Amino acid sequence: MASVTLRNVTKAWGPVKGVDDQSLQIADREFLVLLGPSGCGKTTTMRMIAGLEEPSSGDILIGEHRVNDELPKDRDIAMVFQNYGLYPHMSVRGNIAYPLKVRGVASADIGPRVEAAARQVELTELLDRKPKALSGGQRQRVALARAIVRTPQVFLMDEPLSNLDAKLRVSMRAELKNLSHRLKVTTVYVTHDQIEAMTLADRVAVMSEGRILQLGTPETIYNDPASVFVASFIGSPAMNLIEGHLRDGVFHTTEGALMRLPPGLPRQDRGDVVLGVRPEDISVGAPGEGDVDVTVFAVENTGDSVLTTIRLGAERIVARGDRYQKNAIDDRISLRCDPAHLYLFDRSSGERLR
Amino acid sequence: MNARTRKRVLAVLQNVAILLFIATMLVPIVWIALAAFKQHVDVYQLKLVFTPTLDNFSRVFAAPYFLGDKLINSTIVATITVLIAIPIATGAAYAFSRFRLRGQTLLLVIILATQFVPAVVIVLPFFLMFRDLGLLDTRTGLVIVNLAIVMPFAVWMIKGFIDGIPIDTEEAALVDGSSRLQVIRNIVLPMAAPGLVTAGIFCFIIAWNEFLFALILTSKNAVTLPIGLALFKAEEGDLWNLMAAAGIIIMVPMFVLALIIRRHFVQGMTMGAVR
Repeated sequence: MASVTLRNVTKAWGPVKGVDDQSLQIADREFLVLLGPSGCGKTTTMRMIAGLEEPSSGDILIGEHRVNDELPKDRDIAMVFQNYGLYPHMSVRGNIAYPLKVRGVASADIGPRVEAAARQVELTELLDRKPKALSGGQRQRVALARAIVRTPQVFLMDEPLSNLDAKLRVSMRAELKNLSHRLKVTTVYVTHDQIEAMTLADRVAVMSEGRILQLGTPETIYNDPASVFVASFIGSPAMNLIEGHLRDGVFHTTEGALMRLPPGLPRQDRGDVVLGVRPEDISVGAPGEGDVDVTVFAVENTGDSVLTTIRLGAERIVARGDRYQKNAIDDRISLRCDPAHLYLFDRSSGERLR
Repeated sequence: MNARTRKRVLAVLQNVAILLFIATMLVPIVWIALAAFKQHVDVYQLKLVFTPTLDNFSRVFAAPYFLGDKLINSTIVATITVLIAIPIATGAAYAFSRFRLRGQTLLLVIILATQFVPAVVIVLPFFLMFRDLGLLDTRTGLVIVNLAIVMPFAVWMIKGFIDGIPIDTEEAALVDGSSRLQVIRNIVLPMAAPGLVTAGIFCFIIAWNEFLFALILTSKNAVTLPIGLALFKAEEGDLWNLMAAAGIIIMVPMFVLALIIRRHFVQGMTMGAVR
């Protein structure tokens, strides 16, 4: 087990920068999630740690040891690939045993270790099957077992759940969480799924266009986003972002609607700001009870809650309320925003205003 | 004509077309198969009922034809060609498939372009070269020529099969602790095996049937089966029954290989398609 350090790492293909001068310190036994949309450089970052891509500049350290010039096989890592990367011509047993075999582990030791790894992910019954005779979830388990059969310094997981159906993804996520808790190995996990990031991570690094925009615990990322991008990427439905300007401590939308800002937010007059508020921080009430009266645009019942969409000028705002709410389209309602959870951002830079 | 009758008429026409096609393809082969078991006097009669004889087969192996020698030459030349071509082509195909090389597309096209040159054009330079090198009428010479013929084909074909292997699988093996060579040996070769067998058999067939170069570059010692056929144009006329017997001997291995290849070919073709 070891820490992982990136020092001013850049990966460029000609003029295109996949990863742009990033530094990152991942602590020993930490579960770090790299989160971002496709093309943000998260997978490239992971592949550089694995040794499958060579950084254009900068240093990569595993423990105290610089590994830039080492082949993947010498880095003592294990990786789970998005498409699993199983060996189709080998049985499940052969797949799990391969990392041991190729590293010259005595054959007497291999059997018990393969059985133990298979037991951890409940594959014992399927050891003699070929990968093509397995379901997606089972293949995923084989890939996991192949990673945990050794105790590597670092686990790398590249969107390991993205090929599973929704239900299986949720149950595998819990298994991953349990597994990482028991194994206590430094893990770097790449995903574009913010729920995976929130649930699995010790810390999340939100990436965009080759840069880490914010690095922090899931709670920090969710409750204290540093920019519009981070705020809108995390949370489902996404945070409501309302454009407008500040005058005399009051937020005016471009259409003229007003919202008094609570103390604690910047109060000096300025144009071009974005007010952010999460759907669950907006409560719906009878007209006159809240900050602003509006007309219902759409009502969606998701089962566990009701999403009420209203139009405020040109913007649409979503409020999440309890599942017993009974509003209909065109009803007049009022909205009240929780003053403790309002965010202001600069419109052009996207930076948070504090 | 309603839709139903039209459908039926079309089906009949389709079957007739297929039968015509099969007949065109098979009649010569049936004729050869029959002639191989006929006496010389029966050859020109289209009799389907005759007393079959194995005489022709024993005669072609005896003096003055010694088809056995040609059979050995053909077998050795084709086998060695395949044994050399497939490993080298696999290496080249792997490099083309997996590494980004400067001028890669151009190189691939050039390799294929060597196939565009008509054999007749280069057979004379080959003859002069081989004469100077003392390779005329040797199996070594024929192996070299056949390699030049089958290599481009093998590289392209095997590259296609290696392209079909997901890169994730190779990268997983690299991370799991394999060197590049171990990846090739433990992962790529087993996964590409159906493709390698298919390419190997195709190369064997090409080398086995190669006629023009063998005709010009051999005279006595290294003569192969297709050239051997010419022996049966004798003073007493074309010995069709012997030629047919020799033809059968040439065809039977191809027939067996075709049966083998059929299974591998389908497997190889769909390998990349299914995860």
